[in-house]
Amino acid sequence: MKTTSNVQRPTPNAELGQPRTSSFPRILWRVVAIIIGGLFIYAGAVKVIDPAEFARDIDNYKMLAWQVSVWMGFYLPWLEILCGLALIARVLYRGSVFVLTALMVLFIVITVIAKARGLDISCGCFGHASKYLSFAWHLVLDFLLLGGLVLLWKNAAPRSDAQLA
Amino acid sequence: MKALLRQSVALLALALLPAAVQALYLRDKIPWQSRVAESDLVSVEVARGWGANALWVDARPDEEFERDHIPGAVLLNEDRWNQLLSQFLATQWSPEKKIVVYCSAASCNLAEDVARRLREEAKLPNEIRILKGGWEAWSAQKQ
Repeated sequence: MKTTSNVQRPTPNAELGQPRTSSFPRILWRVVAIIIGGLFIYAGAVKVIDPAEFARDIDNYKMLAWQVSVWMGFYLPWLEILCGLALIARVLYRGSVFVLTALMVLFIVITVIAKARGLDISCGCFGHASKYLSFAWHLVLDFLLLGGLVLLWKNAAPRSDAQLA
Repeated sequence: MKALLRQSVALLALALLPAAVQALYLRDKIPWQSRVAESDLVSVEVARGWGANALWVDARPDEEFERDHIPGAVLLNEDRWNQLLSQFLATQWSPEKKIVVYCSAASCNLAEDVARRLREEAKLPNEIRILKGGWEAWSAQKQ
C-alpha cells in the first residue's frame, strides 16, 4: 500500500514508547551501560593477566587450531576491555555495542555447540572466577548481557550516534 | 550504517595494538606450537617401564575412577582438589617418584590442569608427566 504524503510518520522515540528527552530513563540506561561496560572490562582484565590460560580455555572448545587460540587469547581480552571502556566513556558507542553484541552471540553459539558435542568445559568468560560456572548459569549470564546490549542499542544511543541506528 | 561499520572496525583494529605488544612481550613464555610441550608427555610403554618409581594420579571424576582405574592409581581431581590433595600428600606422595597424571582420553584436559596445579600450586619438586592418550591408551594396551 502506498503511503500518502500527509500521513504523519511516528518518530523513532514514539515507536519505542518512551521519549529520549525523559531524564530518568536516560540515567537508567547510563547505569546499565556502566554495569555492562564494567563487566566486560573485568572479564577482559582477568583474562589479559594470563593469555595462555585463556588460550587453553578457547582450545577446550575444539574449534580452532592451537595457534589461532593463542592469538585469540591475546586479542579478545583487549577487545573486551576496549569496548567496555568505549561503552562507559560513550566514545565509539554504537560500534562498541555492536561489537560486544556480536561477541555475545558468538559466545552463546559456541557454548551451545560445545554442549551439543558433549564437551564438559569451563567457559573461561571470567577467568578462574567462572571455572566452576555450570552450563545453565553460563547461558543465563550470556543472555542477560546480550539482553542488556540489545536494550542499550535500542534505547541509549548518544545523540551524536542516534542517526546510526 | 557506514559510520557504524567505521566505529566497529576502529575498535577491532585498536584492540590489535595492545594485543600485539603483549604477545611480543610474552613471546618466550607462551607455548606457541602446541598446548602441551612434548617433554611434558609420557607414553604408556615408558611410564609402565618406570615400575614402582611411578606414582599414577587419576584426574578423572570420582565415578569414572570408581568404575575402573590403573592399578595403584590415586584419585586426585579438581572437583575435590583440597581434600584429595591433602590425602595424596599425606599418604602416597614421595619426592623421589615420578608422577604420571592421566584422564580419560587424549582429548581431555583434566590431566593437564591437575599436572599444572601440582607444579604451580602444590609446588611439588617431582618430575610430573601427562600420560599420552590417557585411560583410553592404557586400556588399549591392556587388551
